[in-house]
Parts: sequence; C-alpha cells; structure tokens
Amino acid sequence: MDFINIFIKTAFIENLVLSYFFGMCSYLAVSKTVKTAFGLGMAVIFVLAITMPINWLINEHILTEDVMGMDLTFLRFILFIAVIASMVQLVEMVIEKFSPALYTALGIFLPLITVNCAILGGSLFMVSREYNLMESTAFALGGGFGWFLAVVALAAIREKIRYSNVPPALRGLGMAFILTGLMGIAFMSLMGIDPAALGQ
Amino acid sequence: MSTTKVIIFSLIMTSISAFILAGLFYATAPMAKKGEEVFNKRAILGAVKNYVDDYENLTDDQVLSIFDEIDQIAIDMKGNTLKDIQADKVDLAQERKKPEADRILPFFKYTTGGKSYYILSTRGKGLWDDIWGYIALESDLRTIAGASFDHKGETPGLGAEIKDNESFSANFIGKTIYDLDGTYNPVMVAKGPAKPNTNTVDGISGATITGDGVGDMVVKWLEYYEPYLDKIKSDSKIGMK
Amino acid sequence: MADTATATPQVKEPLFGKKERRLITDPLNDNNPITVQVLGICSALAVTTQIVPSFVMAIAVIFVCAFSNLTTSIIRNHIPKQIRMIVQLVIIATLVTVVELVLKAFNYPIYKQLSVFIGLIITNCIIMGRLEAFALANKPWRSFLDGIGNGLGYGAILLLVAAIRELTGKGALVGIPIFPQSFYDAGYFNNNLMVLPASALLVIGVLIWIQRAWNPKLVDVS
Repeated sequence: MDFINIFIKTAFIENLVLSYFFGMCSYLAVSKTVKTAFGLGMAVIFVLAITMPINWLINEHILTEDVMGMDLTFLRFILFIAVIASMVQLVEMVIEKFSPALYTALGIFLPLITVNCAILGGSLFMVSREYNLMESTAFALGGGFGWFLAVVALAAIREKIRYSNVPPALRGLGMAFILTGLMGIAFMSLMGIDPAALGQ
Repeated sequence: MSTTKVIIFSLIMTSISAFILAGLFYATAPMAKKGEEVFNKRAILGAVKNYVDDYENLTDDQVLSIFDEIDQIAIDMKGNTLKDIQADKVDLAQERKKPEADRILPFFKYTTGGKSYYILSTRGKGLWDDIWGYIALESDLRTIAGASFDHKGETPGLGAEIKDNESFSANFIGKTIYDLDGTYNPVMVAKGPAKPNTNTVDGISGATITGDGVGDMVVKWLEYYEPYLDKIKSDSKIGMK
Repeated sequence: MADTATATPQVKEPLFGKKERRLITDPLNDNNPITVQVLGICSALAVTTQIVPSFVMAIAVIFVCAFSNLTTSIIRNHIPKQIRMIVQLVIIATLVTVVELVLKAFNYPIYKQLSVFIGLIITNCIIMGRLEAFALANKPWRSFLDGIGNGLGYGAILLLVAAIRELTGKGALVGIPIFPQSFYDAGYFNNNLMVLPASALLVIGVLIWIQRAWNPKLVDVS
C-alpha cells in the first residue's frame, strides 16, 4: 500500500473518530465552537505526525522479540505512552518559546492530547497492521486530518443547531452523539471509493 | 521538590513496574503461546469442521490432540517437501511478503473414519486488510470438502460476513478446483447470487471487493499447490507421513 | 499495599458507611461517567457489537480504574508535581499491560478480538479523570471504591449498548440466537446498521435522551 492510499483510507473511510471513536472525549468537549475545534484539530495532526514515527522507531528497534536476549514487547504500552506524554510536553515548550500566539491558541488543549486515544491508537494500529515507517507517517497525517475534519464539522453543526428547536433532554450531549452517528453513516458512503484505484 | 527527588522517584517507580511486568510476562508466556497455537489450529480445523465430531465444543486440549493425528508437511513452490520446517509454524502473513518463488506452503492431511481430507492454506487481501482461508479437498484432490475464512479488519455486516456467515463458506462444499479433464478451473465468487449449476458461490451483497479478494486469493494460492498435488496424483501411494 | 488500604480508614471512618456506598452507586446513574461526565467514550465503544467482548472490556476497565486509583492514592503525597501526569500514565499503562498479559494467557480468542482496544484503556479518560479528580485528594480505600463505582457505571453503559446492538444487529444475545427461524421466514431480518460503528453513537445519544428526560436535573443548559 502506498502513501496516498493510506492517507485517504484513514482520513475518510476509516475515520478515527467516526469508525473507531478515537479521541471521543476531547472531540465532544471542544466541539462547541469552531474556533476551539480548529485549534485542537491542528494540535492532533501535529502530535500524531511527530509521535507515530518516533514510536515506529522504538517499536522496531527496542520492542523486538530479541533485544540483548530478552523479549521486551511487554513494555510497549509504557514506552508508547511515555513518548507521547513527553512529546506533548516538548511540543508545548517549543511552541511557547517560538510562537506565543499559537501557544495561546493551542495552549489549553495540548495537555488534553496526551490522553487523546487517537494518538495512542495510531501507534497501536501501526504495530498491529505492521506498517513501515512511510506507511506510519501516512497513517499519522491521514488520521490526524480525518480527526480534524470530523471535529470541525461537528463544531460547525453544533453552532448552527443552537438556534434549532431540540427537545430539552436531547440538547447538548445527546444531540452531539446523534450528530456524530449520522456523520459516521455519511462517511461510510465513501466506502465505495477504492483506495487502490486512486493510488494508481 | 528537588530534581534529585524527581529522578529517584521515577527510577524507583519505573523499576517496580518493569519488574512486575517482566515477572508476569515470563510467567504467562507459555500459556499465551499455547493459546495462540490452539487458536491457529482451531482455525485450520475449521475447514473440515463438518467431519470433526462436535467441532463447536472442542476444548483446547482436544484441538491439540486432533492436530497430533494430522499429517503435516511444508512444501515449496515447486512441490518439494521441506523436511526442516514444521507446517503449523509457517506464518502465511510473512510468506505473502516474500517473492512468489520463495514462498513456503503448509499442507495438512486430516484422516477420519477411513477418509482423508487435504487442507490447503490461502491468504490474500480484502477491502481493508488481509484475509485468509483454509480449503479442504476430498481425496480426489478435486472437490472441495469444506472451507473456512477469516479476516483482519473487514467491515462488520458486510465483508466480515465471509467469517460470520456460515453459509458463505458452506457454499464452497462440493465445488471443484479442477475440471474433469484436469484443467485448473477453481471455484469463483460471483458478484451477487451465483448462477445454478456453475462452479461459483454466492457473493456477499455490499461487499464485492471482499468477495473478489476471496476469489483471487483462492485462485492464486490453490494454484501454488498444483506441483505438489500433481506429485501426489502421479504417486499412487500418497507420499505423506 | 492492601494493608495500608484497609487499615487507615478503619480508624476514623466505617468501612462501608453511607458515604462509601454513594461512591459506588452515584456513578451508576446521577454521575455516570459516560452519559453525564462525558468521559471515556473513546475507543471502548468499538467493541460493543457483542456482549462477550464488552463484558471483558468492562471488567478490564473496572480493574484498571480501581487499582490505579488505589495506587495513586497511596503514593499521592510522594508524587513530584512536575511529573504527575507521567507518573499516572505509567501506573495506568502498567495495569493495562497486566490485563493484556493475563487475557492473552487465559483467553486468547478474546484477546485477539479486542486487539488494540485493550491498550487503549490507557487513554480512557475516565481512568485519568478519576485519578485527577479523586485519587489525588482522597484516602486509598475511598479511592478504590470510587474506582470500582466509576468502572461499574462505565461497564453498565457498555453492556447496555452491546445488548441493544447484538439483539438488533445479530438477532442474538451472548451469541445465542433469540428470534426463532419463523420470524425470519415471516420477513424479519437483522438490522445491519446496528453492527456498524456509527450505530453505537446513535444508541448512546438516545440513552442520554432517555436518562435526561427521566432525570431533568441532568439537562444540559447550553
């Protein structure tokens, strides 16, 4: 499978939020306004694109079944989450230093990203699907973009729906779930796209 | 709080958890390995499930003991027997990544009630990810006696039906892979319902790509076995031990 | 570890007082982690097509939630502030690896079926959320109960969603067909939509609707 193929597949057809529910918590929390959704969406793309290649290298060279005579695969979860947490911290510090404007825009969302399932989920999928470095990067970019797209779309719909007459008990959370479900069904119609044919 | 304290804390903390996990990992490793072995062998037996007593309720140990009775050999693409390789250890996912000429094929012969079934392994690509299957042949090496399929990540309710819908694999029974004159003409997966009296099985509506994937995989991998099947046929005493 | 957990609170508080009981019962309805706190919907829902994997998932979450709460609470006064998040994540990741190893050894088929979703318990926000909101400020025994309560509240929703989806999507419960063949002959068929991921969201949306219609104090004003 090549780069474009995986990108399209992860961004649209197997969207991380809509078909795997990755990062659902922050997805629901920030989708009240488009502006915050945009900020977090960008941050997710960014962190995914940094952590997945690093985790790939770690998985390939440290977490193998024979490193210095030991099988270290059981450390996978700890190492992955440690990389993600430290990368998020690093990104936070770098952004704060070089672009205060971006920092104020993203600032509060960055710590949230550590516990965003999309980030860890990306790395775990990479292992179970045996992607190579190139494919992992494609997955990171595609997955991040898909997440961004879903969160911004939901925020836009939620901004509009504020003026609609929704039953009180369904307002807010309940409606957000149903909207996401409907979006998921809409995205499923993209399944007819044959990624292999597009890649050629 | 000083930096030293932070460092000492993290060192203690990580070593404790590493020790706990390492201990547990090595303690459970043999059981995990057995679990994986049973899982794979059960899947292979799935192809002959109609001829295994009470297949659905086999315990792990029963699976292993049935498998001990099965003759298994690994063969190369030219049909030669590879003595050093154990067939049930062959990982088709890895084989599929090799160039075609270097692939190693597992071959199983299951005997019950005086009848023998030959189980061939196949692996290919569905819509999303890998799909694989085991096809059992009757002793005429021409008629399919049973089949089972599995997949890594096909869509539930659509592509995943190759595994979940019993009738999909059941339709393979009685179909053939060779014409009567010996020409290779394996069973095909139709797009939609199969026409009666043809060598095709019903496709799954809404999952054409997965269905095509199964068809392609069966055509391709059963042909890999052709040199070996020819050897068995020409050798009246079937050369398996 | 267990000694400190049970010994300390016994001095001042009853082991199972009214307050302690509320720690378990509250998350089941009024303060349900999924439908009210909106935490941990994440990836675990992806396993809710059938009851059996959901049940295993629920047990795993209860285990991790309870013991990470307990551990964090025991060492809460020693955790350096600067690395608090990482310490919590290491505790959680260790426990999740324990779950993975045990599951792999004792029930390989379920392990295969849950695949990456076991690992994703680490980023389940309920667990991290409870550590931050409760375990860091409370005694071990109470934290442990809080963990169990929240795990149960989470598991209850998971099982409910799974039961609805398995019944409507596959016409079965726990793998046993419910509808007799005559239903299918009469034209009933399983709803394939319910097997698709999107339906889990619709089901939860409706569950939240029902819960809030019945318990108006939970209604979201925004």
